[in-house]
Amino acid sequence: MKRKIWCFAAALAATTALTASALHPAMAQDASFYAEAAKPYKGTTIRVLDEITPLQETLSKIVPDFEKETGIKVEWELLNHFEVINKGQADMLSGRGYYDAIMLHGSQLGPMLSAGVIAPIDAYVANAKLADPAMNDHDFIQTPYKTTAFSGGKQYGFINWNYNHVYWARADLLNNPEEQAAFKAKYGYDLAPAKTIEQMRDIAQFFTRKKGAMLAGKPLESDFYGIVLEGIKGGSTFSNLWVNFIQNYGGDVLDKDGKPVFDSPQTVAALTMWRELWTYAPPGIAEYSLVDVPTVMGNGIAAQSLAWSDFVLGIDKPGVSPYAGKFVYAPVPAKAGNEAKRHADAEPSVTVISAASKNPEATFLFLEWLASKRQQDKLIEMGQGGVPIRESSWALPAIKDASNSTLFAAMKSSLAVASARPKMEKYPEMFDAMSGIAQQVGLGKMTPEEGAKQGQAILVKLCGGKSCTI
Amino acid sequence: MTRASDRMTTEPAPVSAPVLRERRWYPYLLIGPSMIMLVVVSLVPFLYAVYLSFHAAKFGRVTDFIGFDNYAALLADPRFWNSIGVAATFVVIAVPIEFMLGLTGALVLNQNVRGRSLLIPLLFMPTMMAPIVVGLLWKIMLAGSWGFLSYNVLERFDILPGTSVFASPDYALYALIFVDIWQWTPFMMLAFFAGLQALPLGPYRAAAVDGANPLQMFFHITLPLMTPLLAVIGLLRFIDAFKVFDTIYILTGGGPGISTETPSILANKMTFEFWNIGEASALAVLVWIAFFAFCSVFYQIAKKKLNAF
Repeated sequence: MKRKIWCFAAALAATTALTASALHPAMAQDASFYAEAAKPYKGTTIRVLDEITPLQETLSKIVPDFEKETGIKVEWELLNHFEVINKGQADMLSGRGYYDAIMLHGSQLGPMLSAGVIAPIDAYVANAKLADPAMNDHDFIQTPYKTTAFSGGKQYGFINWNYNHVYWARADLLNNPEEQAAFKAKYGYDLAPAKTIEQMRDIAQFFTRKKGAMLAGKPLESDFYGIVLEGIKGGSTFSNLWVNFIQNYGGDVLDKDGKPVFDSPQTVAALTMWRELWTYAPPGIAEYSLVDVPTVMGNGIAAQSLAWSDFVLGIDKPGVSPYAGKFVYAPVPAKAGNEAKRHADAEPSVTVISAASKNPEATFLFLEWLASKRQQDKLIEMGQGGVPIRESSWALPAIKDASNSTLFAAMKSSLAVASARPKMEKYPEMFDAMSGIAQQVGLGKMTPEEGAKQGQAILVKLCGGKSCTI
Repeated sequence: MTRASDRMTTEPAPVSAPVLRERRWYPYLLIGPSMIMLVVVSLVPFLYAVYLSFHAAKFGRVTDFIGFDNYAALLADPRFWNSIGVAATFVVIAVPIEFMLGLTGALVLNQNVRGRSLLIPLLFMPTMMAPIVVGLLWKIMLAGSWGFLSYNVLERFDILPGTSVFASPDYALYALIFVDIWQWTPFMMLAFFAGLQALPLGPYRAAAVDGANPLQMFFHITLPLMTPLLAVIGLLRFIDAFKVFDTIYILTGGGPGISTETPSILANKMTFEFWNIGEASALAVLVWIAFFAFCSVFYQIAKKKLNAF
């Protein structure tokens, strides 16, 4: 009897394996391609530096498969957001080449391309021995891919991470009948996830309450805030203001030719809204980083936010936040009347090969393998979701049948309009100065008009009358 | 008649020329290794910084000699002057308070207070803590809304309502000064206490016989005898406070805006964020020149007027 069970199990396993390979011939071909292509590099060790987020933690479980398939050893190092920027850039600029590949946020590409420390991959993509025939780069979500991985007619990588902002709110509050009635009485329309920035402002104003006041039928034990936004100097405070507010209002930092246009009336209007929203946020907003915002939401201190969707994945989990499952997500709100030209902040990122790498071919194979459909599908399934870089990933069961389906709908909406920030040599200087202005305006220490004027002056000085972009 | 043994004690034995030559080199031989280390780890990097400050150095690549352009750009940058102003405010407020509190505490400790042997190691705790721990500790204490002090004291007693001290351009610098005072006053106290313990008792006994009161003893005996130590400790603390980096980096990162950006924070930003190494080196050299000038003047005054050094 026992023997019969074993035989049945073996037959079932063999059938499953055969069926799987028969159903996915491209995947089988994909695996054999890497094994063949990597033969000359077998035994090579490559070092890769990436950022630690829930996405990379899942990816780290897949990386050993590459080693098994190819015989190329990967030393996979994960550091936090700020460290990966500092350490990665320092290594590339030093020319030491300790890391063969380094993950760069889209915003880092301008300075690093200006310094000439990123190796283009065009030669490898054109090399039949190295280029995966099943890659299908048309499947990448195109705007983030095209605006991030290419510059000056050269390709510098694939797309690796599609970090993006989504609108995040407390569903239990928005669906509360008492709150809904009170909101409608005050604002004249139904309480629901904000579709416009003006609605987001109304919700923020409505839910900002003092300790002791009632919230969803219960007295508050401490102050409650209508919104929480990132406000720290550095981080992504200014990218939130820039794309989610200024661009949605029709303004921008630079025009199409790379000339500064920060002192427009649209920017002033966006800064005015920015300032107003800060008055409905916790007093520590100017200290909040991209990690603190999801923490505040997870602790139930604020009603809504604009947050990085990959960080949301780490909070909206049973056991992590008491409000897990009580959240709702939506696309980043547009400016009322400007919905057709909506924008959503995103930081498409790419793992590039350092110009000082001594193993560029083996590194290229690894980066190609990471971006392949087979690995991306695995990443999404293993992570029970994730942030897709491929259009085909939206159809995967882990996303299609996810319990928090509104999150993936919001991500898809954001990525549909997401693009990389302009590639500027002096991006860090610009960003630092603008972050300061974002804080000062938010805190009410500078008027929106002064902020726009000062920002323009800084940009003009930084660019020296030339185009700010490379 | 002089005995041979007496002669030996009064007149040095004649030394041959080669031995003399050897003895002349002997001290240099002893200090040589330390001097080489000092030159390698201190002087060479400094000279390289001076070299970089006269060159266009962006993204770690040193290119053209540009004379004083980096210095001119820096001196014309309001952000540089803001950082000097921030550091000056920090030093001018923090160091005198630490000095006064430290000296007062040392005088109290010197009065044979009970439990002194337990108190001294406890007092050393803030100074012994790594700056990153101090930063995190005060972040937890003063963070907006949820910080231990923010929630239990500031909010409960409606002090600074709706404010987060580290997020406020009006209060952030003063909060950092407070943290510095908390960290470094015990060090000043213990250094002064050690000085007080080493003072001779003779002058105090004589003063007591002459009927001097404690205040007269303090101003006419303690303070003059302690002056060299006070000058040295004060100078060291002044230099250290001006260079403060770690706690500011952890607590505010120089913000909000540039309200807590000291020259050290600005230099770090210029180097590791903007990769503008030429200008960052010019900043380092300018701060060094300012310190060198200040310390030289201070040294001369302390030497001549206070009999210190």
